[in-house]
Amino acid sequence: METRRRLELIVERMAQSRAGNILKDAGIKGYTVLDAVAGYADGLDWQSDADISLAQDMVVIIAIGDNATIDRALQNLHQLLDAHIGVLSVSDVQIMRPERF
Amino acid sequence: MSSDILLATITSPVVLFFVLGLGAALARSDMSIPESFAKGIALYLMIAIGLKGGVEMSKSGLNLQIGAVMIAAIGLSFCLPLLAFTLLRRMTGLDRVNAAATAAHYGSISIVTFVAATEAIRLTGVSSSGYLVAVAAIMESPAIISALFLAGSAARSSGHIAGSERGELVREVALNASVVTLLGSLVIGWITGVEGFARVEPFFVTPFQGVLCVFLLDMGLAAGRGLRRGWRDLERGTLAFGIIMPLLSASIAASIALILRLPAGDAALFMTLAASASYIAVPAAMRLALPKAKPSIYLTLSLGITFPFNLTLGIPLYLFVAKLIGT
Repeated sequence: METRRRLELIVERMAQSRAGNILKDAGIKGYTVLDAVAGYADGLDWQSDADISLAQDMVVIIAIGDNATIDRALQNLHQLLDAHIGVLSVSDVQIMRPERF
Repeated sequence: MSSDILLATITSPVVLFFVLGLGAALARSDMSIPESFAKGIALYLMIAIGLKGGVEMSKSGLNLQIGAVMIAAIGLSFCLPLLAFTLLRRMTGLDRVNAAATAAHYGSISIVTFVAATEAIRLTGVSSSGYLVAVAAIMESPAIISALFLAGSAARSSGHIAGSERGELVREVALNASVVTLLGSLVIGWITGVEGFARVEPFFVTPFQGVLCVFLLDMGLAAGRGLRRGWRDLERGTLAFGIIMPLLSASIAASIALILRLPAGDAALFMTLAASASYIAVPAAMRLALPKAKPSIYLTLSLGITFPFNLTLGIPLYLFVAKLIGT
């Protein structure tokens, strides 16, 4: 097992493509997008089916990479979150098959 | 307003299912329509209305009056956000970006309001033209451009957003799902004509009313949840705007209908289109173009205030006025 960094970004669905571009440009080899079903923030509950435009839906993007790649992505993701609603966290994870990250 | 039209509208199954959904969401019921099912229904409704419009157009063809209505519709969609923006800045404490984003919703249209109006008009025995589906489709997007102009320097100051692609907004504005589905179905209906449509008629005509009821139930749930979530962001002036703006837009559309000598059914639908506010295409475009604007303001207003108003009181009122001014 080897150590890599895991980036988890909860972001509004309309910014998913922008976040994906940032990760690709930073050299991330792959990422996964999950639907966020519901949550709580700023004193309010929210859920994904509140409107049919999907404009308020959130997704979770998970990516794993080495230090340099994740740091490159973080710079632009920080700027993305100046404009779009989202939460970003990074943690260390143990991975098998390190050549894939 | 004729009490018959009003009564027929507010006691129609479509409106009552909307009220059921709205009440259930406000009362915090766990009632819900699966998201993918609701999306499928929305697609079905847009295909059905597009096909029917196209078939009607294949019978009547194009003429100068249709061209004039199309040009007026584009102009209206560009200009209504200017009026909405001015009203919002004077009536409410909304900043430039939020006022511009909200104004865009009121220049664009709600296809569900249009469908509900089409059915209400049909039930009162008044006929309408199929080309108004095309008018609906072309009124979806111009308001977004006006909103970007209105947001002006406030939007530009946010600068380039990381990860943005060239042309992503143009793609969202011109090729959003509702515009492509409506116009595509309209063209298919036009090409295939009455004969071709007869083969799919059992699927797109007979179940239409029932499917619309299920969709309106979902819209009621969405409106109720939106109201519960966003009402804190709406002050009195903003709430009043949600009722005043559709009435002003419908009045302007009524004047245009009078000048263009539209028949009563077409005039009612044209007024409904002008009075309706988007809650599908524009919110998505605004999240891309003006992400700092609050969706809790513009979505709650268009879906929670203007949509229920148009569905219950607006449509009967527009039909009543249209009967007075229509040829």
